[in-house]
Amino acid sequence: MLANFGKYSGFILRRERVVSLIWLAACVSAFVGLAAYFPGLMPDEATLNAMAVMLDTPAMTAMMGKVYGAEVFSQAIAMSVDCLSWYLITVAIMNIFLVNRHTRTDEELGRQEMLIALPVGRLTGGAAALAFAVVLNALIAALTAVGLIALNIGGTTVAGALAFGGAIGAVGFVFAGLTLLFAQLFSAARGVTGASMAALGLFYVLRASGDVSGNALSYISPLGLALKTEAFYSNRLSPIVILLVEGAALSAIALTLNAVRDHGVGIIPARKGKAHASRFLQGPFGLAWRLTRTTALWWTVGLLVIGVMYGSVVVDIEDFAADNAMVSAMLEAAGNGSMTEQYVAMLFSIMSMIATVPVALTVMRLRSEEAHGRLEQIIGRSVKRSSLFVGFIVIAFAMSLAALFVTALGMLALSGGAIGAAAVMKAAFAYLPAMWLIVGLISLLIGAAPKLTPLIWVLFGYSFVAVYFGKVIELPDWMAKLSPFGHIPQLPVQEFALAPLAVLTGIAIALSAFGLWRYRARDIY
Amino acid sequence: MSVIEIRGLVKKFGKFTALNGVDLFVKRGEVHAFLGPNGAGKSTTIRCLLGILRCTGGSAAMFGQDAWQNAVELHKRVAFVPGDVNLWNNFTGGEVIDLFLSLQSGKADKARREKYLRLFELDPTKKCRTYSKGNRQKVALVAAFTGDAELFVLDEPTSGLDPLMEKVFQDCIGEVKARGGTVLLSSHIMSEVEKLADSVSIIKEGKIVLGGGMSEVAARGQTLEELFLSEYKEV
Repeated sequence: MLANFGKYSGFILRRERVVSLIWLAACVSAFVGLAAYFPGLMPDEATLNAMAVMLDTPAMTAMMGKVYGAEVFSQAIAMSVDCLSWYLITVAIMNIFLVNRHTRTDEELGRQEMLIALPVGRLTGGAAALAFAVVLNALIAALTAVGLIALNIGGTTVAGALAFGGAIGAVGFVFAGLTLLFAQLFSAARGVTGASMAALGLFYVLRASGDVSGNALSYISPLGLALKTEAFYSNRLSPIVILLVEGAALSAIALTLNAVRDHGVGIIPARKGKAHASRFLQGPFGLAWRLTRTTALWWTVGLLVIGVMYGSVVVDIEDFAADNAMVSAMLEAAGNGSMTEQYVAMLFSIMSMIATVPVALTVMRLRSEEAHGRLEQIIGRSVKRSSLFVGFIVIAFAMSLAALFVTALGMLALSGGAIGAAAVMKAAFAYLPAMWLIVGLISLLIGAAPKLTPLIWVLFGYSFVAVYFGKVIELPDWMAKLSPFGHIPQLPVQEFALAPLAVLTGIAIALSAFGLWRYRARDIY
Repeated sequence: MSVIEIRGLVKKFGKFTALNGVDLFVKRGEVHAFLGPNGAGKSTTIRCLLGILRCTGGSAAMFGQDAWQNAVELHKRVAFVPGDVNLWNNFTGGEVIDLFLSLQSGKADKARREKYLRLFELDPTKKCRTYSKGNRQKVALVAAFTGDAELFVLDEPTSGLDPLMEKVFQDCIGEVKARGGTVLLSSHIMSEVEKLADSVSIIKEGKIVLGGGMSEVAARGQTLEELFLSEYKEV
């Protein structure tokens, strides 16, 4: 069953030496590095107490977990309450990718078959992947604990650091076991990732609702259970032990299933798909929509959630900014007007760029289909290149409206009427011409220089730095003007100006038309 | 009348010359074999013929119309099966077939679709990610034969098929021929070509080096394989 376990582990180690080393270094340096900021953020008892009060609100509890130890609140406790729940999610995701990569993905691609055909045991692959995950989690846990002890911010204890690291490692182990289990159940690697991520999301929601209402749901979720260690305060070890038992049980079930099932299939039989195309999957536009709809849907949901998160802060923005030097610097840089108006203006200068990502992805799908060699079968049929091209542009246009609309809607949802709906919508839709200009640029690239299409991400990165941080770190004005986003009036703080919007829209149309003209005349390859 | 007329076709990719004056004519109702080793220019010729690539020089026409200018109209009468059939992982085979048919002419004949699914023993409810190379080719072949085109352009369509399916494919080509259809068949399988083809062109380094009817080949007292090998032996 476990023949050649040692050599197989060495093989995994060889394949993982870069990726896992990056995960390890990134996790430990981020976990320890962020802790180093806390003495500066909360230097004295007054700020610590203010933090404890702020954390003890339902919104904060839902996001990060229940605050504890308020009577002896220290920098270490504050760090743990603020950060641990995010670290748990990070490590969970790492384990999902890691285990899936070496089990179902290899199996689905037919690579493991060649190894199984050698004198390698049936369980060797799964067990070696699990063993590697255990070692990696243990290393992250131990190095984080050692790092925190060495850093020694206020309130640090050895027991606390061990509980903190232990919670991270134990949750990682649970998700390694869970992913290994899903890898036995589903026959496609995508299904394994989907189910594991869905479980992670469910555990987060269970933890949030359990923590807010103070019931047992928090204990059912591994994420909630791990927070019950209350590092640097109670330093309970029992949650860690329970998590390790859970992880071991999941792994045992997974390996048992692995031993009895056929190679290449899952315990849950693959669902039958549709024998016929639906009425929507017809013609170039139907194809374009089918290829982009999943991305569109998830980004719409994501933008709504981000909008709600930022919008819910609007009510307390005046207090929040007073405590945070960086935020108030950004707000002042945004111009005149009330704190709330400045916040809205600043938020849209960043959210507009995030909301442009799905729009850009929609148009770029046309190029990635070509790069994957799937377009020749479409162009080889009775399809006008222009209808295909325009189909993607039309969907991107609709996406641009939807993306800004849901972002604004999300912001309004929990803002408690602190900002006017019309003002927010106006501030959001003012960014449409900038989005269209990006669409125009991508069209131009796809038509005239398809291989350079990814360069658009350079413009994204530049815009982010120049427009968002540019004002705080005082970059010259012309640098922001190199980005289409730098030409948009930041409503409601700045005056509305039609001219730049009209010019951007005009350029966008011209670029798209030129791109289409070149696209009709070039090779498809 | 020639269904396919390629005259002096030149295709350059930057400085590299892939096709250096290809001449190829296919008459209505004949099966024309297109032979040549990997990299000789078969697929490039076919892509120029389909208006996927733009000719650098010379001309390519189907049914007397320019292949680039009138690509959309022409493709209503043409069925194409590429050498590497790349499909969308999360589509089922049935969805892809329906999509292809809708892009061809708009209407799919249900009975014909069922017939070819059965002949090629293809399960249309499976996702494309689970299909082997052979099954992906079957998806493209079922779509092509269901479409009832006048001209079939097939680029190594059987390289992943088993001998049973190879036989089914040959029967289908026979049917196409019986109702007066035209076929351009690029292939490496000499026995397949000898059974099906009426005429043949052999391409070498971007030029047609030998072309003619299969009867002429037979008259030279050589099998097609001997002819093909003799053409490439002297280096």
